[in-house]
Amino acid sequence: MKVTVNDVEVDLAPGTSAIDAVFAAGYDVPYFCSQEYMSPVGACRMCLAKVGAPRKDRDGNWILDDETGERTIFAFPALLATCTSALSEGMVIDTLSEEVKHAQNGMIEFTLINHPLDCPVCDKGGACELQDRSYEYGSGRSRFEFTKRHQEKHHPLSDLITLDRERCIHCKRCVRYFEEVPGDEVLDFIDRGGHTYIGTVEHGLPSNFTGNITDICPVGALLDATSRFRGRNWEYDHTASVSLDDASGSAVVVDARTGRIERIKAGLHPEVNKSWIDDGIRFGHEYTADPERITRPLLRKDGELVEVPWPEAAAFVAERLKEFSGKDVGVCIRADATLEEGVAALALAEHLGTGQVDHAPRYGPTVMPPAQATLQELAVSDAIFVVGDVSEEVPAVDLRIKDALRGVTPPPLLPHGVPIADLRLKERMPRKREILCVAAPYRVDLMRHAGTVARYDVGGEETLFRGLIAIAEGGSADERVLGMTLAAAKAFVDRLRAAKKAVIVTGGFVLSSQAAADAAERFARAVGARQLVLGPMANAYGLEAIGVLPSHARYDYASMVAGGAKALLISNLDPAADPAVAERLAESRLLVVHDMFMTATARLAHVVLPAKSGFEKDGTVVNLEGRFMPVRAAPVDAGEAVDVTGLVRELGLAFGVRIEGRSVRSARRSLRKTLGTDLEELTGLGAFVALPRRRVAVSVAARPGVRGRALRVPTMVRQEYLLRNPHLLATLGGPALRLHPDDARTRALSHDDEVTVRVDGVPRRLRVYVTDAMPSGVVSVPALPDAPAGPADVDLDGIVVERRRLEVA
Amino acid sequence: MSDAVADRPKPIVSRFDPRFEVTLYRHVGVAGSHTLPYYREHGGYEAAKRALTTSPSAVIDEVKTSGLRGRGGAGFPTGIKWSFMPPADERQRFIVCNADESEPGSFKDRYFMEDDPHQVIEGMIIAGFAIGATRGVLYVRGEYYLAYERLREAIAACHAEGILGRGVLGSSFDFDIILHRGAGAYICGEETALMNSFEGLRANPRLKPPFPAQAGVYGLPSTINNVETFASVVHIMAKGGAWYAAMGTDDSKGTKLYQVSGPVARPGVYELPMGATFRELIFDLAGGPTMPAKAFIPGGSSTPMLPWTDETLDLPMDYGSMAKAGTMLGTGGVIVIPEAKCMVDAIYNIVRFYAHESCGKCTPCREGVATWLPKMYQKLLAGLGTREDLVVMEDMVRNMRGTAFCPLADACAMPVQASFKYFRHEYEHLVDHGEPLHARRDWWSA
Ligand SMILES: Cc1cc2nc3c(=O)[nH]c(=O)nc-3n(C[C@H](O)[C@H](O)[C@H](O)COP(=O)(O)O)c2cc1C
Ligand code: SF4
Ligand code: FES
Repeated sequence: MKVTVNDVEVDLAPGTSAIDAVFAAGYDVPYFCSQEYMSPVGACRMCLAKVGAPRKDRDGNWILDDETGERTIFAFPALLATCTSALSEGMVIDTLSEEVKHAQNGMIEFTLINHPLDCPVCDKGGACELQDRSYEYGSGRSRFEFTKRHQEKHHPLSDLITLDRERCIHCKRCVRYFEEVPGDEVLDFIDRGGHTYIGTVEHGLPSNFTGNITDICPVGALLDATSRFRGRNWEYDHTASVSLDDASGSAVVVDARTGRIERIKAGLHPEVNKSWIDDGIRFGHEYTADPERITRPLLRKDGELVEVPWPEAAAFVAERLKEFSGKDVGVCIRADATLEEGVAALALAEHLGTGQVDHAPRYGPTVMPPAQATLQELAVSDAIFVVGDVSEEVPAVDLRIKDALRGVTPPPLLPHGVPIADLRLKERMPRKREILCVAAPYRVDLMRHAGTVARYDVGGEETLFRGLIAIAEGGSADERVLGMTLAAAKAFVDRLRAAKKAVIVTGGFVLSSQAAADAAERFARAVGARQLVLGPMANAYGLEAIGVLPSHARYDYASMVAGGAKALLISNLDPAADPAVAERLAESRLLVVHDMFMTATARLAHVVLPAKSGFEKDGTVVNLEGRFMPVRAAPVDAGEAVDVTGLVRELGLAFGVRIEGRSVRSARRSLRKTLGTDLEELTGLGAFVALPRRRVAVSVAARPGVRGRALRVPTMVRQEYLLRNPHLLATLGGPALRLHPDDARTRALSHDDEVTVRVDGVPRRLRVYVTDAMPSGVVSVPALPDAPAGPADVDLDGIVVERRRLEVA
Repeated sequence: MSDAVADRPKPIVSRFDPRFEVTLYRHVGVAGSHTLPYYREHGGYEAAKRALTTSPSAVIDEVKTSGLRGRGGAGFPTGIKWSFMPPADERQRFIVCNADESEPGSFKDRYFMEDDPHQVIEGMIIAGFAIGATRGVLYVRGEYYLAYERLREAIAACHAEGILGRGVLGSSFDFDIILHRGAGAYICGEETALMNSFEGLRANPRLKPPFPAQAGVYGLPSTINNVETFASVVHIMAKGGAWYAAMGTDDSKGTKLYQVSGPVARPGVYELPMGATFRELIFDLAGGPTMPAKAFIPGGSSTPMLPWTDETLDLPMDYGSMAKAGTMLGTGGVIVIPEAKCMVDAIYNIVRFYAHESCGKCTPCREGVATWLPKMYQKLLAGLGTREDLVVMEDMVRNMRGTAFCPLADACAMPVQASFKYFRHEYEHLVDHGEPLHARRDWWSA
C-alpha cells in the first residue's frame, strides 16, 4: 500500500499504522504512549499529523482533481493521532507543516505544565523521552504560571519499583503493560481528570514481570529501586549481552558504572524475549557487588585459606595434580558456563587424562528434544501443553505462551525495527485460553490463563504422559493419574492432535525421570507436537551439545563428589552443602574450588580460585531453542576473578603447556572445528548452528528413593544468590518452604516463620510460606544448582523453628 | 422549484401547525402515567407488537424512511446506525440505551424515565428486535434516582406480564433489559466510556474503530442510542416512517424535545417539530426572557453560543441550520444568557464543569481542560488577568480543539471560543479594569 509522508513515498502492508509509515519514511514524530509490542491507545496526543486521503466515488473510481487529473486528497478535518490511524491507499501524511508543529508544541506544553522538571536530580535524565522530545518539539518556555500538581514523589509500588507520581505523564504504558503482556492486572489509574494517578490497591505488584515497566516508562516516574540515585545515564557503560539466569537466552543490557553493575535492563530480541525480562533477571544482580566476594586466589596454609598471587595458587594446584593418575581427577563446571568454558574444561580433562568431567545440574535425559520448537513457534502455537511451572523455571517462555493466547503473530520488522504501533494489538483482548493446558503437582501461576488445568501427584509425570498416550491411542486412563477429568484430557489430546503447531513444554519435573522424559517424547510423537524442553540452566543445552559429559556413567558429578575422584576441580557448585558429601570431601586429597563466594565447599578446599559472574565474561551459550547467543563482558571490577578459560590458562602456565580453551579465542578456534561456525562472528541476535544430535549415553545416578510428598521446585530467582540480593530478598522474604494452611496448622507453623529443615539430608534455612497453591500434604522447597527441580525428601518431622514470625500486637 | 416539490404537502415545522400533535411527551406530567396499566390503556406496547410481526429489516427500513437522527447529540441517522450491525452469528448482541444525560442544559431524558418509562422500554424492544439483540442495557445516570426506581418498577411489571423475558408479547422473540446505574461521571455518556463503565472498568472512552457494532459491550456487537431516540422509534412504528418524515426540514425530520433554561418565564421541556425557530421555543412556548438577554446556547453547554439577535432567533432548530451558523443542535438544550451576567463568569461555570468531568486519559483534556484553563479563568475573575493571558487562553483553546481523544475537550473548547468570538470585549474589560463589565450579583434572591 503506497502512502506519502511529506515528500517520501513508502510502500507498506495494509494495516500498518500511520506513525510507522512516518518512521519507515525516515521522518520523526514525537510519541509517548505508543510502545513496541503493546496496543496503541492514542492517549498522549503527541503523534498528531495532518492526514489526507483520496476517495472513491459511487462507482468505485478515484475522485480526480479537475485541473491536474491527479487523485484529489481530502484532508481529515482535524489532526489525526498517527499511532491509532491505519494507512489507506494513497494516504498523504504531513508532519512538517506549521499547523502540525503548532499542535506538537501545544501537546509538549500541556505535558509539561504539571511535570516537575526535576531533571537535574532525576535518574532518567539523559535518557528521558520527555526531555528529548521537549528539546526537539517544545518551545523551550512555559506559559504556565500556576502551582504545579504536587503528588507523592517516592511512592514504593513494591520493594523493587519506586514511583514518582509528579513525573508521571499518564501515557498508560505501565498500566497497559500489566494487562497486555503478563496478564497480571496489578496497576491502574486512580481518580480522574487532572487528579489521575497510577496506583495499586495494596502494596506490592504480584507478578514475575514487574521490572519491565521501568524500561518502558518514558520519564523518570518508575524507577528500578536497585539503581535509584546510583548514577546518571551518561555515566553508565551499557553492555548488550545475554542473561545467564535461565535457559531462555533473554537479551539484556548490563549497565555498569565505575566497575560495578548498577542495573540490568531488557535487551531487544524480537525472536526470544522481545523487550521483556523477568524480575529475577532484572533485579538479581546485586550479588556481583557483594563485599564478601572472593577477588583473589586463596591457598590453605597452616589450615587457613590465605590470599596468594595467581601464579602461586596455580603452581600449587599443578604440583599437587602430579600426585594423581589422570583418571582419579574430576572436573565439573556449572551448567551456565559458556561453551568456551566447556571447551576449556574438556581440554583440561583431556590434558589430565580423565573421563571424569561433567556439568551440573544435569538430568539423565537429554535437553535436546528430537522435534525442537522455537520460541517464535511457541508464540504462534495453536495448542500448548505445559507440564511444570514455566513461569518460575524460564519466565520468558510464560510470556511467549501468552503471546500465543492473544493470537497475534509476531509483527514483521519494519525499516525502523519493531512496529511502534501494531494496530492488531488491543487493550483487553480476549485470550484463547482453550489452547492452553497446564499440568503440575500444585497450583502454578500459568493455570490462571489456561483453559484446561491438571493437578497430578508429585512424581506423577511419567504416569501422566502414559495416560495421555493411552488416550491418544484411543484408550482410557485413570483420572487421578491425569489430574483432570477424562473428558478434559480427551478433549485436549484431540486438540493437540488437530493442531498444526502444537508444542509440549516440559521442564525439570519431567527431566528428573528418564521414564517421564521418554514418555513425554512418545506422547509428543503420538500427537504430532513439537517439544520445548527447559534445561536446568543457561547453557545446559550447549554443554551437552559439545559433550561436556563423563566418559562413563560412574564418572558423573554425583559419583565424583561421592568419592569417585580423589582430586576435584569444581566450578561454581557447592556439593558440600550436603553434610554427608562434606564429610567425604573433607577427606579428598585435593579440592580446588572456583567460585565467587565462600561456600561450604570452598571452606573445605585446598585452593579457592575467584570466579567471574555471568556478567563479567565473554562467551557463547545455547538457549533452550538451540540458538547460539553471545555473552559479553560488562566492565566490572571483579578483582582477579577469571572464568574457566582463565583458570585453564593459569593452570596451563603452571603446567608449562598450551591447553586449548586457554582463552575465549582459543576455545572458539577449537569450536570452529567441531561446529563449522566461527562464533566470533555471532551477532547480538545469535544464530542456529546445526549440531550433531546425540543421545546422552550417560545418565546421572538415580537419586535415593523419595519418601514424603515433597518437591524441589524451580524458581525465577537464583536461590544460590538470593541472600546476597537485598532487594529481591526484601520482596520474597527468603527461600520459601511452601505448604498448605492445613499442614501449617498441624505442625504449628505460621507464615514467615524461619525454620531449618532437612531436604534430602541437607539442612536448609527456609521461610515458611503458607499457601493453598500447595495441595494438602505436599510441600515444596526451592531448587538449587546442586539440587535441581524434582521430587525431594523433606524431613518435616525434624523441622526446627529458628525464629517465629514477628507478631504485631 | 419544480412542480413536484411544490405539490408536496408543506412540512410541519411549527408546534402551532394544526397537524402537529405532542407525541413523545404526551404522558409526561400526568399522574400515574409511569404505570403499566396506564401505558397499556393508552395504546402502549402495540407498536412493539406490530413490529414483532414484521421482520427486523422491515423495522430498520421504516426507521430509515422516518429520517430519524440520534437524539444523543451527534445526530447520526438511526436507521443507518442499526444497519451497521454485522450479520447475526452465535454471539450475544446488545442494544444499549444511553440514559446518562449529564450535559448542562439537557433534561429531557429524565422525564421520559420518570413519567413514561414504558415508552423507553418499548423502544428498546423494537430496536433489539431490529438488530437481533436479545439483551438490552439501560445505563441510567446515577443522580437520576427516581428515574431509576420507576424504570426498575416498569421492568419488573413487564416481566410479570410477559413483555420482557422469554417470548416478548407472545412472540418468539426473547428480550430482557439489564438496568445499570452510573456512579456520577459525565464521560459515562460517551458511548464507549459507558460500555467500559458498565463492564466495571474505568470510564475511559475506547478507541474507535472498532465501533460498538463490531465490538461493544464485552467486545460483542452492540448498538447504542439515546433515550429520546428509542421513544421516537415507538411512534415511528406506530404511525409509520412517512408520518414522522412529514415533520421537520430536509436534513432533520420528526418531532423533538427542546429544553429551555435561564431567565425565561416558563423554563422546561417542550416538544416541537424539527425546524421550528428559537423564537417559537423561547417566546411562544417559554414565555420569553424575563430580563434582557445577550446570547443563547442552542443545544447544551458544549455547543457554541449564538448572539441574541433577530436573525439568530429566527433560525430553524435543525442540524443543517445550526452547522451553517457555526454551532450545533446537540441535545436541544437551549440556555438563555442574560445581559447582566458576566460572560467570563458564565463560561467559567461551563469550563469548571468540563474540568471536573475530564476523564484524564488524554493530555490536552487532562492538562488543558482539567488543569490549566480553569486556573486561567480563576486568575481573570480574581482581577489578575492581562491581555497576554487572553492570547495564551485563545492559543491554549486552539490546542485543545480537535486534538483530544474524545469530544469532551472540544465540548469545553467550543463554548470558550464562541465567547471570545462574540464577547471578547467582556474579557478585555475584565483584564483592563480588574472588574467584570457586569458585576457579580445574587441571581437567586432577586
Ligand atoms: C463526552 C460525551 C458525553 C455524552 N453524553 C451523552 C449522554 O449523556 N446521553 C446521550 O444520549 N449521549 C451522549 N453522548 C453521545 C453518545 O456518545 C452517543 O453518540 C449517543 O448516545 C448515540 O445515541 P444516538 O445515536 O441515539 O444519538 C455523549 C458524547 C460525548 C462525547
Ligand atoms: S478528551 Fe481525553 S481526557 Fe478528556 S474525556 Fe476525552 S479521552 Fe478523557
Ligand atoms: S497518541 Fe500517544 S503516540 Fe499517538
